[in-house]
Amino acid sequence: MIQMRALAAQNVRFKYSGSEHWALDGLSVDVEKGEFVSVLGCNGAGKSTLCLLLNGLIPHAIYGELQGNVEVFGTDVTKKTVAELSTQVGIVFQEPESQLFCMSVEEEVAFGPENLAVPREEIRERVEWALDLVGMSGYNDRSPFSLSGGQKQRVAIAAALSMRPEMLVLDEPAYALDPVGRTELYQFLRELKVRHGMTVLLAERDAEEAALFSDKIVLMKDGRQVAAGTPREMLHDPDKLRAMGIVPPQMSEVASLLNARLPGANFSFITVDEAERAISQSVVGRKVRRSR
Amino acid sequence: MIPAPSPSTASDKIVSVRDLKFTYEGGIQALKGINLDIRRGEYLAVVGGNGSGKTTLAKNINGLLRPTSGTIMVNGRSASDLTVAQLARIVGYAFQNPDHQLFCSSVVDEVRFGPQNMGFTQEDISRKVERAIEAMDLKGQRDQPPLSLTLGERRRVSIASVIAMTPEVFILDEPTTGLDAWETDDLMASIDRLNQEGRTVILITHDMNLVAKHAKRVLVMSEGRIVLDSDPGGAFSDLELLLQSKLVPPPVVQLAHRLSGLGVSRETLSPGELVSRLMLGGGEAK
Amino acid sequence: MTGFIDLYTEADTFLHRMDPRVKIVAVLLVSILGLVLSSLYSLLVLLAVIFVLLFLARATFSRTVFALKFVIRFMVLIILLWPIFDPSGTPVLASLGPVKITEPAIWRGVTSAARVGCLATVWYILMFTTSQRDLVRALVKLGLRFDFGLALAISLRFLPTLSATIDSIKDAQRARGLELDKGGLLRRARNYVAVLVPTIVSALRAADLLSLALQSRAYGAKADRTYLCDLKMRRVDGVALAVVVALLIIPVFAKFVLQVHI
Repeated sequence: MIQMRALAAQNVRFKYSGSEHWALDGLSVDVEKGEFVSVLGCNGAGKSTLCLLLNGLIPHAIYGELQGNVEVFGTDVTKKTVAELSTQVGIVFQEPESQLFCMSVEEEVAFGPENLAVPREEIRERVEWALDLVGMSGYNDRSPFSLSGGQKQRVAIAAALSMRPEMLVLDEPAYALDPVGRTELYQFLRELKVRHGMTVLLAERDAEEAALFSDKIVLMKDGRQVAAGTPREMLHDPDKLRAMGIVPPQMSEVASLLNARLPGANFSFITVDEAERAISQSVVGRKVRRSR
Repeated sequence: MIPAPSPSTASDKIVSVRDLKFTYEGGIQALKGINLDIRRGEYLAVVGGNGSGKTTLAKNINGLLRPTSGTIMVNGRSASDLTVAQLARIVGYAFQNPDHQLFCSSVVDEVRFGPQNMGFTQEDISRKVERAIEAMDLKGQRDQPPLSLTLGERRRVSIASVIAMTPEVFILDEPTTGLDAWETDDLMASIDRLNQEGRTVILITHDMNLVAKHAKRVLVMSEGRIVLDSDPGGAFSDLELLLQSKLVPPPVVQLAHRLSGLGVSRETLSPGELVSRLMLGGGEAK
Repeated sequence: MTGFIDLYTEADTFLHRMDPRVKIVAVLLVSILGLVLSSLYSLLVLLAVIFVLLFLARATFSRTVFALKFVIRFMVLIILLWPIFDPSGTPVLASLGPVKITEPAIWRGVTSAARVGCLATVWYILMFTTSQRDLVRALVKLGLRFDFGLALAISLRFLPTLSATIDSIKDAQRARGLELDKGGLLRRARNYVAVLVPTIVSALRAADLLSLALQSRAYGAKADRTYLCDLKMRRVDGVALAVVVALLIIPVFAKFVLQVHI
């Protein structure tokens, strides 16, 4: 049985109409079902363009020249409408304010299924399910204007989830959040993947949380995939990441500096836990303890 | 012509806040008694989670908000005696969203707007504009419409338009939101240069990495109060306080705390420092 | 500033519970009644009834004051100005050149003021007791196309956001030395460009993103979309409607058929 990929893109090129520059220039990327993928790149690398491609907004709502092959769950995105794709791929944009347009949280989350003529009882169930999932149960009658940034983002996610997609795409979702909100968001997305089998793809500029929560990291530059692999493979070289305009995880910088100053050392950690363990157990650690 | 308010006393304190309290119209008390002295040339970061009062404090300093009670002295004069426009000659404020400022058809015109409002002479204005454009590395974009530029460029235009008014104090509200690694480095280098030239810089941010790298003094705010006022090392040594103030210490700081048993100081701020301190205690790999 | 647009006050009165469609129709009918009635006494009775309903709506003090301030000022203005512009009738109480203040004119002025008072205040009752959400829902159920209803809902929803954006823009420009309240008309108009342009750009950007969000949620996918929130007429709503219709029919019949001055 052939395992259907969540995303299979081959040699994709896309130019926004009116522009001379190829926003995507030979992008090939794969995402398996149930994977948590973080796409990292500097501003202008093409991450947002990729996100817009996944639910068909490019090319159906945003015009330009598209070349190459993009298949989402086995379907060519050019062959299905955005509405049809919306039941498979949900998208969340970076500014929560501009994607919440209803007068209450409940209406917002119900809007998608309403448009699909889902029966009323089922819509009610889906709304409660989605709000519960994002931790906003009971907020049904609140107006979006009265919510905090983090809450707005969660409602936006619930509104996408109520359409029961198999993949959730998020374009810089932590943009408007403070550091605590960022971490909570990533933790929530990880839960979504682990508990509900959701495929998660998000676009980011900062590798710190991506290192902790992703199954796979894709590095993008100039509209193309530069490399893809596990977080450790992709994020252990801070110089390479900085050269791509990506903020590397601080621990990878520590590892790299230690490797430079300790002949023979081969540290490769990207999280604080890994670093603590590796350093404590290493010679350096032991040497220090001996000398005390 | 907006006259420069003359300082009543020559002092090295450019901003002095005494018992500042501020309550918004809806009844929310955003500032619960702030006492603060800022000296000329300081490089200060004001950090805190959303709702801690950091933006409210900044807007009280430049007059956009007026205290409910308490006093603010700017350059020796009471801020309540000065209009926002008069205060703008001393305290420049670059907003977080540059798109809330940009409206001209070219970068040059945009940067001219501030000094023109101040009523400087044409020669003065041209000089200040050129210097600001150079300081923010915008020479290549000077004739382009600001709205067609990238976010990083638009931020720089917004900051340049504040620089051109030649204030003594710069308040920058979350200047690096949305910027990638290159853009952040470039922007912060320009801001560091401003401080090296003698300007007082107040950075409002919740990015602790930025604070660790650039600021010399940190004010941690939480629920309308200043809960900590110290150098960055001191600020990061109290993890409990940071977490309570809804701030996340940078990974390097977290690691330093965990390795403090190995002789790493809790006041470590950067990967380089951490490694150096480890090396001092350690030796060679087998 | 939001108080200006969203007058809804949450409470549990019979007016709040009434089906919003009935309320809209009732308010329309009462407005027509206000136009049909011509005797001052009938209008004053109607005005009194409306004021009673207004207080039964249990709006907050500040909102009630706001509503009444506006209406009463307008009424006083009419009472004062009407006799000046209507010199017909006798007896003449005072005169100054071409201006003649006559007694009948004063009464006509008072009558018009009462009429305006009725028409304006009854709409406030609607606004105080009906959420924007229910209003839009009712309009769509009464026949407004869903697209228009959505456009109306989105506009209402973004008004406070737009207001906050404008405040932020004003602050940002004031911090650059812009003084919006100084100078002559021309200078002020020019100054407002600095606020207008960023506002329009911000609104256009938001509209762009909004359209992407709408499409991503399958807007327009099916013609027979479901509506989660459904309005159901209760018996008491039907009774209320019947009462209002009767209240309208009787005076109309009396006035136009029986030729009674009512």
